Amino acid sequence: MNLTPAQLAVVRQPPGARLFLEGPAGSGKTTAAVARLLALLDAGVPGAHILVLVPQRTLAGPYYAALRSPAAAPGGQVSVLTAGGLAQRMVDLFWPLVAKDAGFDPLRPPAFLTLETAQYYMAHLVRPLFDEGLFESVAIDRNRLYSQILDNLNKAALIGFPVSEIGERLSAAWSGESAQLRVYADVQRCANLFRDYCLQHNLLDFSLQVEVFRKHLQHSLLVSEYLKASVRHVIADNIEEDTPFAHEILQGWLPGLDSALLIYDQGAGYRSFLGADRASAERLAAACTTHLGMAGSLVTPPPLEQLGQRIGAALERPQAAPQEGADWDSALDFPPELRFFPQMLDWVAGQVRSLLDSGTPPGEIAILAPFLPDALRFALTNRLDALGVPYRSHRPSRSLADEPAARCLLTLARLAHPAWGLRPSRVEVVHALFQAIAAIDLVRAQLLAEVVYRPKDARLSPFGRIHPDMQERITFSVGNRYEALRAWLADYAEGEPAELDFFFTRLFGEVLSQPGYGFHSERDAGQVAASLIESAQKFRYAIEAAGGMDGKPLGREYLEMVQDGVIASTYVQSWQPPQADAVFIAPAYTFLLNNRPVEHQFWLDVGSNGWFERLSQPLTHPYVLSRDWPAGRLWTSVDEYEANREALFRLALGLLRRCKGRVHLAFSTLSEGGYEQKGMLLRSIYQVQLEEAARG
Amino acid sequence: MDQSKVRRLVLDPAEPFAFSQASLQDYADCARRFQLRYVQRLSWPAAQAEPVQENEQHLRRGARFHRLAQQALLGVPLEPLAQIAAADPDPALAAWWEHFTRLLPALEAGERRVELGLSAPLGRHRLSAVYDLVQVFPAEGRAVIWDWKTSLARPRRAWLEGRLQTLVYPYLLVQAGSWLNGGQPFAPEQIEMVYWFTGFPDKPERFTCSAAAYRKAGRSLMALVREIEALGPDGFEKTPEEKTCRFCVYRSLCERGAGAGPLAEQEDEGEAESGEIEIDFDQIGEIRY
Ligand code: SF4
Repeated sequence: MNLTPAQLAVVRQPPGARLFLEGPAGSGKTTAAVARLLALLDAGVPGAHILVLVPQRTLAGPYYAALRSPAAAPGGQVSVLTAGGLAQRMVDLFWPLVAKDAGFDPLRPPAFLTLETAQYYMAHLVRPLFDEGLFESVAIDRNRLYSQILDNLNKAALIGFPVSEIGERLSAAWSGESAQLRVYADVQRCANLFRDYCLQHNLLDFSLQVEVFRKHLQHSLLVSEYLKASVRHVIADNIEEDTPFAHEILQGWLPGLDSALLIYDQGAGYRSFLGADRASAERLAAACTTHLGMAGSLVTPPPLEQLGQRIGAALERPQAAPQEGADWDSALDFPPELRFFPQMLDWVAGQVRSLLDSGTPPGEIAILAPFLPDALRFALTNRLDALGVPYRSHRPSRSLADEPAARCLLTLARLAHPAWGLRPSRVEVVHALFQAIAAIDLVRAQLLAEVVYRPKDARLSPFGRIHPDMQERITFSVGNRYEALRAWLADYAEGEPAELDFFFTRLFGEVLSQPGYGFHSERDAGQVAASLIESAQKFRYAIEAAGGMDGKPLGREYLEMVQDGVIASTYVQSWQPPQADAVFIAPAYTFLLNNRPVEHQFWLDVGSNGWFERLSQPLTHPYVLSRDWPAGRLWTSVDEYEANREALFRLALGLLRRCKGRVHLAFSTLSEGGYEQKGMLLRSIYQVQLEEAARG
Repeated sequence: MDQSKVRRLVLDPAEPFAFSQASLQDYADCARRFQLRYVQRLSWPAAQAEPVQENEQHLRRGARFHRLAQQALLGVPLEPLAQIAAADPDPALAAWWEHFTRLLPALEAGERRVELGLSAPLGRHRLSAVYDLVQVFPAEGRAVIWDWKTSLARPRRAWLEGRLQTLVYPYLLVQAGSWLNGGQPFAPEQIEMVYWFTGFPDKPERFTCSAAAYRKAGRSLMALVREIEALGPDGFEKTPEEKTCRFCVYRSLCERGAGAGPLAEQEDEGEAESGEIEIDFDQIGEIRY
């Protein structure tokens, strides 16, 4: 590892130092921290005594890579955790010590809820209340509504205020129409209901895991001794992206640690909407013995850094430090005059292709947008496909339940359980057959469904009963496979219904993944099936832990929840996609938190105000629900404008600091919806340009 | 071309691979399985053993036992643990717990390292393991490796002897355990490995190590790794032992049958115990983007 003098200074600090290291992104802080980690191991510090703490796992990549390499000295395994992960681990391990005091049944193990199962229970409790008029005035999708209430619970836990104060805090800062106060009261009611239900049923959502750790475990003698013995050295990276909960843990540990290295990224702080708190991170500096700073960038050419600072000045950010005379022009690429949105996408795809043709590796290109809705991703990837550009996206574009393989399994489950009354439509059966049977085309699938499926009683009839002419048109090889599938389903339906995930497992293994069926040669269909089965299994575990369903078949509840979009609506990949050398397409914040600089960045639709305005969240508030928001202070439109400008500056600077070469601005005069657009980001860049022109 | 779904077919020459006894065992059982599971990282959700429900019960019971044992060894009072075991819906757990409490006094001696993770370089890769318990006797420079086995049937000694776990655990303790022994590597002959069976508490299986066995283990492991490194995309062959396929989830992919083998005939204990149960801690942070 070739290190700069500043990095070497970090590595060579005495083994017992408690260091606070700050600097901008790209200045080499994480590389220095990784080198110090390896140096600690080399010096004989047992790996089992070292904890690397990160706000989210994507930021731990360089540490994992170093620990996987043969360069790391042999010894105990270093732990790499998030604060939430630590809390869950401790709750799981020391449950018998605290369950009773925390209000749970100590004889039963804790049931940890995933985001999906937490959302399910929230829906379960809130849905009946809609009839009473709850959230009548809120016009957002119900699933977003559930997730925002959960968000509030999580914030309360991470920031450290009682759940019972959510509504009060939100209301006290509200300066708009009074009808919104009713909404906040409804939020509070639902948060209380959810919390009570979890306590009664031994369910621990993320917020309860954090609370139980903070209130009951952290100070238990056994737990603190366990942690004291196993955590002697801490490296905490990106503390500015972490929450007050993580900072509190560090604050408590620091005086007793053998060594510490806390890393603070100046100008960042992108996870504030998830409870991250820069100010509380900064306060940790006082508990450290040595402060080190890193300046400059090992990544970004000076003109790009200067462009970031100039944008900051245009946005009237006091901390911006613009200098004159930087030649940022060469680092910025403007499109020709493009009037329509699709033309902009064509331009981006074309530019990417030219870069590849001139020798840029695909992995050195990122296409970034503030949000990446499916339609945009689809439109873009179609164009890249047409030009033969390899790309990868941060996650599949569809929800799990919309993946054809998942839809096939869900439809077959409904067919196999006629008693549940969830009859699939003929179209659904067509698509299920199309996915399930190899070498069937859509026309044959339609023909087959037409003659064998009666939606009225949700029954499939045998292939042998079809008119011979039709059999021939469908072909006998397709017919045989269909018949084996039908017989399997009929056979299953005769017996006692199995748990849904077992049903899926057997159907997949015994039929759908066998030769002649659609999942056999389609590896990704297997992956989708695995994700669906895991989702159904975790759902079952959560329901079983809470004492079952009162007579309603669990599988039926699962299928209904999928239909409602409560379950399987997101696709959380349980496996790490292989790191292909491909153009990366992602929302801008995801790119920032992946923290992998590239040579070329395309900023998509840079005229859109999506770069500037935060997502509407009528049931929560990232700034009001923070530790430093003064009780009772109103959140005004001036606050909103200020916060947005600050966030835009940090975002633009963060992106520029992760660019090694050139930024390509992509915009069209008219937005996707046909409106003329000049969002704040584009205006700021224009302003910088005008200032430059005025200077001559 | 969406590259998110492109899967490797051979080990990445630029990336060190994290080997474990489980992945090496998979390779020893079937090279194709190693390729599918660890190189391609292919999830293939077929049944591992039948009946599926019983197999799941078996795996979850094993995981619950491991958790109770870990808690007891970390100093959580035994009384609430006994109550949890007694209240468990699966009566076998209470019996296993009772067996374990009889073993506990023998585990009191020495320094206890519970769920100990160790790791050491292996060629240009890494070898890691998580031990249920390592009991260290510093004055004697001696260590006992304990591994809880929750399989339905007690495996034969010869079968255990041939498992990569029996080779890897003592070897890695010598390689990576000097910090447990005052900075000195354990002498191989000072290491004992004990398989303790929850269902057969009076019939543990003990293996001792020796300097010669340790050297041989090192050579065998390196040979295995070199063999894997040298394989081309088509070199990961299916096992000729079709019996192995009965308990392998990839059997449909390999065209080696439809139904899973019977749980009672499975000598291995299944997958849930081969490592920590993976919990996605970061969903909260990642799902929003
Ligand atoms: S089914 Fe058989 S051949 Fe295929 S991976 Fe499994 S063990 Fe190997």
